[in-house]
Amino acid sequence: MAITNIKNLKEFSTANERLEGAHLLCPGCAHSMIVRELMNCTDDNLVIATNTGCLEVSTAVYPYTSWDTSWIHIGFENAASAISGAEAMYKARKRKGTLKDPDAPVKFVAFGGDGSTYDIGFQWLSGAVERGHDFTYICLDNENYANTGGQRSSATPIGASTSTAKAGRVSYGKKERKKDMVAIMAAHGAPYVAQLSPNKWKSMAKGFQKALETEGPCFINTVSACTTEWKFDPKDTIAITDLATDSLMFPIYEIINGTELNILYRPKNIIPVEEYLAAQGRYKHLFKPENRHVIDMIQKEVNEKWEYLQRREEARV
Amino acid sequence: MAEKMELNEVEVWDGNYAASQALRQAQVDVVAAYPITPSTPIVENYGTYVANGYVDGEYVMAESEHGAMSACVGAAAAGGRVATATSSQGFALMVEVLYQASGMRLPIVLTVVNRALASPLNVRGDHSDMYLGRDSGWIQLDAFNAQEAYDLTLCAFKIGEDMNVRLPVMVHQDGFLTSHTAQNVHPLQDDEAYKFVGKYQPYEEMLDFSKPVTYGAQTEEDWHFEHKAKQHKALFDSREVIEKVFKEFKDLTGREYKRVESYMMDDAEVAIVALGSTVETAIVAAQQLRKEEGIKAGVVAPRVFRPFPFDEIREALKGVKAATILDRSAPMGAMGALFNEITTAMYTTPHRPILNGYIYGLGGRDFAVNEAKRIFKEAKANADAGYLTTPIQQFSGVRGPKLGFFETKRG
Amino acid sequence: MSKGALATEKRGIRELGAEEHVGWDEVPQGVILESFEEELKENVAHIRPEERPYSDFNSYTATVASWRVIKPVYNRDVCIDCQNCWVWCPDTSIISRDKQMIGIDYDHCKGCGVCVEVCPTNPKSLLMFGEFEEIEEALAKWPEKKKKS
Repeated sequence: MAITNIKNLKEFSTANERLEGAHLLCPGCAHSMIVRELMNCTDDNLVIATNTGCLEVSTAVYPYTSWDTSWIHIGFENAASAISGAEAMYKARKRKGTLKDPDAPVKFVAFGGDGSTYDIGFQWLSGAVERGHDFTYICLDNENYANTGGQRSSATPIGASTSTAKAGRVSYGKKERKKDMVAIMAAHGAPYVAQLSPNKWKSMAKGFQKALETEGPCFINTVSACTTEWKFDPKDTIAITDLATDSLMFPIYEIINGTELNILYRPKNIIPVEEYLAAQGRYKHLFKPENRHVIDMIQKEVNEKWEYLQRREEARV
Repeated sequence: MAEKMELNEVEVWDGNYAASQALRQAQVDVVAAYPITPSTPIVENYGTYVANGYVDGEYVMAESEHGAMSACVGAAAAGGRVATATSSQGFALMVEVLYQASGMRLPIVLTVVNRALASPLNVRGDHSDMYLGRDSGWIQLDAFNAQEAYDLTLCAFKIGEDMNVRLPVMVHQDGFLTSHTAQNVHPLQDDEAYKFVGKYQPYEEMLDFSKPVTYGAQTEEDWHFEHKAKQHKALFDSREVIEKVFKEFKDLTGREYKRVESYMMDDAEVAIVALGSTVETAIVAAQQLRKEEGIKAGVVAPRVFRPFPFDEIREALKGVKAATILDRSAPMGAMGALFNEITTAMYTTPHRPILNGYIYGLGGRDFAVNEAKRIFKEAKANADAGYLTTPIQQFSGVRGPKLGFFETKRG
Repeated sequence: MSKGALATEKRGIRELGAEEHVGWDEVPQGVILESFEEELKENVAHIRPEERPYSDFNSYTATVASWRVIKPVYNRDVCIDCQNCWVWCPDTSIISRDKQMIGIDYDHCKGCGVCVEVCPTNPKSLLMFGEFEEIEEALAKWPEKKKKS
């Protein structure tokens, strides 16, 4: 790739865009920020598969496509399988000498929302990673089924109100904890996994580059703040993402070969999760006196997770 | 470079082995597959070929049938030859992707070893899986024996990949009855077989970076209909290519396939219409009846299930007085699928034979020559009476009180 | 209304839904969309967008300008070319070339306001104004540097 060492944003900005405008994503959506960072951090040819979801539905409604690279959407759960098949075809055709441009560098990337990654497409992703295909899977995690109106997924955090696990008179929202996809993928033996965030563009761009360059299946969970379903003003997407990473609700870290955990962002001032929760409509009910204990529980678990990450980073296990 | 196998002029292969050999000879670029009874030997044999250097392509051992077909679609969009195999529950699991594959007009070959659908769970042969995929937009061929399983699989690649077709193709065979029954098969040698199938021609492929393409766009109410109509027409238009490929195959091997196979129909006054290995049972019964009782019996079998050979069925049945259509799948509150399609074809002609249907052979229940003879004789009684003497739909071979549904209002 | 920075003949020429509704015989087989109308002579990542042979199926040729009720206005005089707005624009509507800010693509900008929020200068180099406000008038109204309290 031509852009190997992105020293600063000015250098990064010399990339030629490959995601076109006039897609149908909500104003302020973080999905396209993340996709742009991926497509701009390399100039290798890309073959991209996407699960049904906000990104897919907004960038490929006939008669328009916003993709300047080859792209495939099959269904809700199977982008990982689609990319497995495309990657296998690439290997076969390379071996048989039937590729049009056999020396052109190409990277295989799959995108999925949290619904399609954590839930309905879990098996397909697991299979692709176990088989060891050379691809990068990027989960655009907005912690709900946003495309269909904000239903809960197993990525929805405890205490969030969604359209199916609603906050009401007798409920404080989702009662189950968020699944740890990064750990699950690391346990599959994926050589590089990470949780990255678009507000920390440099670690995101570098993490994406690392994943693309690492041979084998790489998994990256990305923080995608959703103005529509998290309920905040579209202009505040990066501000909310800053709160997410500074409160450590979303710690930014990578795990290399399952054991080398590196924390990629240490907030100068760690802010209380309460500040992050207070900025979003989906958590507003937690500020009622009867739900106070949920905020305390969330803070406790964020602290424990941060402690755990630091100890693993130190211990190199 | 993949190693070649030297084959005997006559091999003893079961339907599964025959299909797997055809896949090997077609030099498939990507096989993405998952095991399920009774098609498992196809993927196992293919694995053996891979392990011993007879395959140059990639073999993706998927984590489910849905994953397998999904990988096939991704591979096909990446511009190469793709195939897989499945049955029953696996077929049902991948049904969603079957529609997606055909909507994207991707040539993929799927060898289906027909098996009953649960519940209750059953691993034996019937056609419930075949019928589940009726509307999936795939071209569908039916093999009645191991030779045909081999021949039709080779033809399937050539038909689906034709630039005037570009559709995925299924080749069906009966679970256990064909797949696990060893028979004489006359194979082609590797070079001949590959020459017949030909080199894969890419079209709108994702690995041509000078022409990026988007697969799987969404169409809303202002566009969906046009795309589906175009696909539907493509299926009917494929009849021409199917006949062309069958002719080429006949010129190469001497074995001739037709979109509708007719046996002893020239002077037949009664006929059985069936699919799968039952066709051969009915042929034996017809031959015996002609000899023993002078009943002019014949057999009609759709070789091409999709696109449904509406035109050829009318031709085949135009001379009979009565015919019985056999369905190896329980339609659950309706007439059998084959019964419905055959009777519709005949309804819109001036000649309407007396037609009735049987549900038979579910879950691998045996269908014997004697039962076929009984059914022929029942059709003869109808023909002689000039009207249907039994209920329109009956059941053959099930224990318990006689089951029949609806009486005719004609005659 | 200004189309904004680096507009080309093909950019934003069609409202969504305003395409010609052709029949089944003219739609592309398999709903396969080609991003470009000519074979690319080199890697698309090496071709500047304003030089690409976009096909009519590429959303580059569509416009979402009608989504806006407010629009960002760019002030070249205050800008330090930090590229914050470039990296965080969800709609590929901040145009930057050779490490320098050129301006806003008003064919594709939805008026979300993220660019204004992430602009670090004082006063900001991007501010939101009414959709129908003239650019020159907006620039004339630009606020002074805010003093820290």
